[in-house]
Amino acid sequence: MSNFLYLFRGGEESFEKLSQEEKQAHMQVWGTWMGKLQEKGQLLDGFPLEADGKVVHSKGDMVTNGPYAEGAELVGGYLIVSAKDMDGAIEISKGCPIFDYEGSTIEVREILTMDNPY
Amino acid sequence: MLGWASPIYMEQQLNNTVTHLFRNEYGRIIALLTSKYGVSHIEKIEDAVQDTFLKAMRIWGYQKIPDNPTAWLYKVANNGLLDKLRRAKKMSYTADENSHFEATTEASEFYSNTEITDSQLKLIFACCHPSLSKEHQLVLSLKLIGGFSNKELSDALLKKKETVAKSFTRAKKKFKEEVQLLQIPVQMGLQSRLFVVLQVIYLLFSEGYAATSGEQILKRDICYEALRLALLLKKNPYCQHPNLNALIALICFHASRFDARINDAGELVTLEFQDRRLYNKELMAIGSAHLEQAGSADTLPSKYHLEAAVSYHHCTAPTFKETDWATILKLYQLQVQTQYSPMAALNSIIPYAKVHGPKKGLEALEAWKNKNDYKQVALFYTIRAELLAELKKEFKPDIRKAIALTENVLVRRYLKKKLE
Repeated sequence: MSNFLYLFRGGEESFEKLSQEEKQAHMQVWGTWMGKLQEKGQLLDGFPLEADGKVVHSKGDMVTNGPYAEGAELVGGYLIVSAKDMDGAIEISKGCPIFDYEGSTIEVREILTMDNPY
Repeated sequence: MLGWASPIYMEQQLNNTVTHLFRNEYGRIIALLTSKYGVSHIEKIEDAVQDTFLKAMRIWGYQKIPDNPTAWLYKVANNGLLDKLRRAKKMSYTADENSHFEATTEASEFYSNTEITDSQLKLIFACCHPSLSKEHQLVLSLKLIGGFSNKELSDALLKKKETVAKSFTRAKKKFKEEVQLLQIPVQMGLQSRLFVVLQVIYLLFSEGYAATSGEQILKRDICYEALRLALLLKKNPYCQHPNLNALIALICFHASRFDARINDAGELVTLEFQDRRLYNKELMAIGSAHLEQAGSADTLPSKYHLEAAVSYHHCTAPTFKETDWATILKLYQLQVQTQYSPMAALNSIIPYAKVHGPKKGLEALEAWKNKNDYKQVALFYTIRAELLAELKKEFKPDIRKAIALTENVLVRRYLKKKLE
């Protein structure tokens, strides 16, 4: 088993368009999906990220606001899941509710370790 | 049957909690911030609180909801608002005063329950300011205190969604211009606003009691919030009025039947089939006590009096068959005479048919139909189907129409069963 990092990008615009009720309803869907991963022991960690941030350059000589990326490229949140291999991690990601928002993607990266930290 | 660990169950749990928190905390935080920073910032306050809930929901998609999220919600909303105010450079006070603000908030207001509830009542009374039209008063109160969605608001006020959305925007503008301070007027001023405040509470409770959409038949949170606000009014010496007692009685009688309205399978149970042992005796007693105090010799009974009395008879009837339909019919007829509404007329058909038989009931229903437009009213078709079924006539087309007009999933499921 290996651990994989999911980086969620995009979809903010279509999320913003939803009504308060629809947003609440969609949180149910997220909760259910996460709950299932947790039951199977596949979910290790995960949080949403604030859109604003800073970028630190050259040991702090320069700190800029950012990252000024287009909405589609901003990382909106991350998850760490446990899967057999890359194919398994991709398979798990397919059911993710992030895809309900138009234009969103999941970048799947294997986390390199000498031993399993989790 | 759903097991404890099934995803659908967890789904409902999460939904309930998010919705619950939204209900309970939204109006509370809006009220606190408004009494602190003033009505003139109402739009920024709303934005800040909405942003906060959005942020919270994003996090709760990933994580379990903490045991006590109130403190977090309040703090984030307060900080978000300060940011917005600073950005708008509308702050007349310095940063020092800010920190003073935050300190007092956390020390006293926030943790003192009475302060919080007071600011909610303050906000309702401010929303019911006489310089605002009645519609604006209701829209503001239900949106800001009840956290109503536009859908719920349009159902409560029997208006289109777009109309209530526009009305809210206009109401907020007026509110900012006309109402400067969140002060509860004393004595006379208070009494004149009291009637609108009671109506706000009544509408809150009604939406909670007969949830018009969604999967719940009851939104208990709204019901209890309405009861809590009514009981708070009761503590204020200037708010004493027979109508308030009648309203409290009405809420208690309805609330006493909560547990009996849903069976173990999560299905809707109508009055006829409810297990009356499940009625909450304590709430019934509180209701009766308030109904006794609600006597008003000099005035006609209000709609709260009449509805409370009807509900009292339903609660206390030992069985459905032994219900005192004649008295209930009289109460409805009095309501139709003194406070006519198409819905009151429609409701009076049920006891009328019980007293005079389904054939006469059907005739009376048709007579009302000629006076009112019930084409979009699900209850009309449900009642007609019921009467037709009793007369052994074809009733299924009416049930189908009722289903088409019903948005609540549980009610729709209940009606569909009748087609089988």
